[in-house]
Amino acid sequence: MRREPCGFTGNAMRLLIVEDNAELSRLVAAGLAAAGYESDIVGSAGEAREAVSSVSYAAMILDLGLPDGDGLSVLRELRRQMEPLPVLVLTARGGLQDRVQGLRSGADDYLAKPFAMEELVARLEAILRRPGQLLGRSLCLANLVYDTESRQIFVDDQPRIISARETSVLEILLRRQGRVVPKKNVEDHIFGLEGEVASNAVEVYVSRLRKQLAEHGAKVVIHTIRGVGYLMAEEK
Amino acid sequence: MSQGEFRAGAFARPTFKSLISRIVFMHIVAVAVVAIFLPLVLFWLLNSEVDQLHRDAMRAQAEVLAERIVPQADGTFAFNLPDSLRGLYSDAYGRYQYDIRDGEGRLLFSSVRRTGAAAAVPRLSETISGAGVTRIIDGQTVRIQVAEDLAHRDVIIDDIISNFFRRVGWITIPILLILLATDIIIFRRALAPLWKASEEASNIGPARTDIRLPTEQIPREIMPLVTAVNQAFDRLEDGFRVQRQFTADAAHQLRTPLAILRTRIETLGDGAARQALHADIEAMSRIVIQLLEIAELDTLVIDPGETADLRAVCAEVVGSIAPFAIAQHKDIALKGTDAPVTIHGNAVMLQRAIFNLAENAIKFTAKDTSVDVVVDDDGAVRVRDCGPGIAETERELIFQRFWRADRRRSDGAGLGLSIVRGVTDDHNATVAVENLPGGGAQFTLRFRLADKAAIASSLPAHSQVRTG
Repeated sequence: MRREPCGFTGNAMRLLIVEDNAELSRLVAAGLAAAGYESDIVGSAGEAREAVSSVSYAAMILDLGLPDGDGLSVLRELRRQMEPLPVLVLTARGGLQDRVQGLRSGADDYLAKPFAMEELVARLEAILRRPGQLLGRSLCLANLVYDTESRQIFVDDQPRIISARETSVLEILLRRQGRVVPKKNVEDHIFGLEGEVASNAVEVYVSRLRKQLAEHGAKVVIHTIRGVGYLMAEEK
Repeated sequence: MSQGEFRAGAFARPTFKSLISRIVFMHIVAVAVVAIFLPLVLFWLLNSEVDQLHRDAMRAQAEVLAERIVPQADGTFAFNLPDSLRGLYSDAYGRYQYDIRDGEGRLLFSSVRRTGAAAAVPRLSETISGAGVTRIIDGQTVRIQVAEDLAHRDVIIDDIISNFFRRVGWITIPILLILLATDIIIFRRALAPLWKASEEASNIGPARTDIRLPTEQIPREIMPLVTAVNQAFDRLEDGFRVQRQFTADAAHQLRTPLAILRTRIETLGDGAARQALHADIEAMSRIVIQLLEIAELDTLVIDPGETADLRAVCAEVVGSIAPFAIAQHKDIALKGTDAPVTIHGNAVMLQRAIFNLAENAIKFTAKDTSVDVVVDDDGAVRVRDCGPGIAETERELIFQRFWRADRRRSDGAGLGLSIVRGVTDDHNATVAVENLPGGGAQFTLRFRLADKAAIASSLPAHSQVRTG
């Protein structure tokens, strides 16, 4: 069941999977293919360097334990060459030091094995949507689509009008769908550096957004995690 | 092997557990031997000294007598014993005698009236002490012999000797005992570094294998033992490290096969079987992660200067675990203070402890109820659920590794709360469990606030009273 990734612009996006375990890389490639991404597989650091220099990939999924060296050294090399290729590190190393070191070496995100394919795709799409990356325009959840450039909202492919501040809230929650967005981040996203903001302002906008989404028939739900923030998920 | 068997083997030879009692025992034996032999030796020395004195006195007297021998014109000698000496040599006094003989041994003069010259030596009682001098007077050899009857010995000297034991001899025993006491003190002081070393050694355990016995101030004789023990600790530490590394490596190695399994299951079509397999993989993955956390916890040494914001840690935990709660139709909330709570500790470790507590609470809280994580500004975190609570008898057991209240449940290995206990132990923090009046369990972790003064000054007055 192959589908087009949400916000797919039509250009073929190739991913590079660097993983020495052939079985795992085959399964990951199959999972990515199901989500609409084509990928090449290499099994060593040397092959990875070669592949990156000859093909322009949209992103790289990098395993750290490689037979001919540390994946982190490949990552550091890329970053030294000012190569902006988004890198999602995938590793069996879940230790405290490894995690910190991985992110410091320039990884865009970090996923410890074993991971859910769904999460791998979500994280990958999150880094592909970052400014300057290929997957630029649309954010989707259930029957809801948000065009980040025109700031238009579609429910069941019908355009809907939602007020500006609520749209800002929707955008940040959609970008990190399935994960908790701290209230402070929502606040900064809506108001930027506008200075003093009423303490309950975010609550007010979130509750208005909920109401408007419900009116438009969007099958999404915004959970309030008291004391922390908000989480947007598909309605079940 | 029992102590009795061991003692039986060392027949007639007392075995001492204590070095000091061994020394005391040996010392007492030595004191006893010395107390007997020292006076005997002294007595013998004193006696021979007295004898020597006597001989010298006799010789002096013989010399005095020799001066009284006057050669006559006819070639014979005259002997004028002065009156002052006459009494001494009288038969009545009976203590001293003299014989004066010529070169051929003929008796010339004697204090004893005797017929003939048969007796070569003056005949007194059995024990005598005597001395003689030989003089050449006027070309003739004259031999003067003086003797003293020891039965009539000098009373003063006799008294000194006979009183020696009573008056002086006993003094050796207290002196030896004082010496013994001194030795015990010296030994105790010498052993003091060993006591210190023992105290250090008592801190060594699986969690603290980095401690070594102090080598400064250890006597050189005992140094080889201390060094050997330290080397043994080095080897043990290596062993522990290998063990921990094995746990960590095993957990690491499981991750890739689990990832394969999980991804493979996800490629299966939708269905109940896939859902079930997925849940199994989730549970198994969680155990592997917890094993790694435990392995890491075992090697962790927290920098005493390290601080963390307890509220930020709790916010992160609640945020990261919320999707898990929502998926189970449960809720989680962060309550309590809004201000940062700075405590001594490592943020990642704290996060793991609170995550495991929250995970546990979500697991046991009833559907459509909420788990509350409450942060207090005094460094306490409470995690409350609306579950069945924890029986009094199980409140210690739950912190043991692999302990589960309901062994039929398959959603965990019982590692979570042991991680909580491990983290609190490493942070010198406490963890308490109680049941809430309205049902449900409450876990309270209490950490040490960092830089109390600075925090108190930034809080309103009423808070200062509580935290200060």
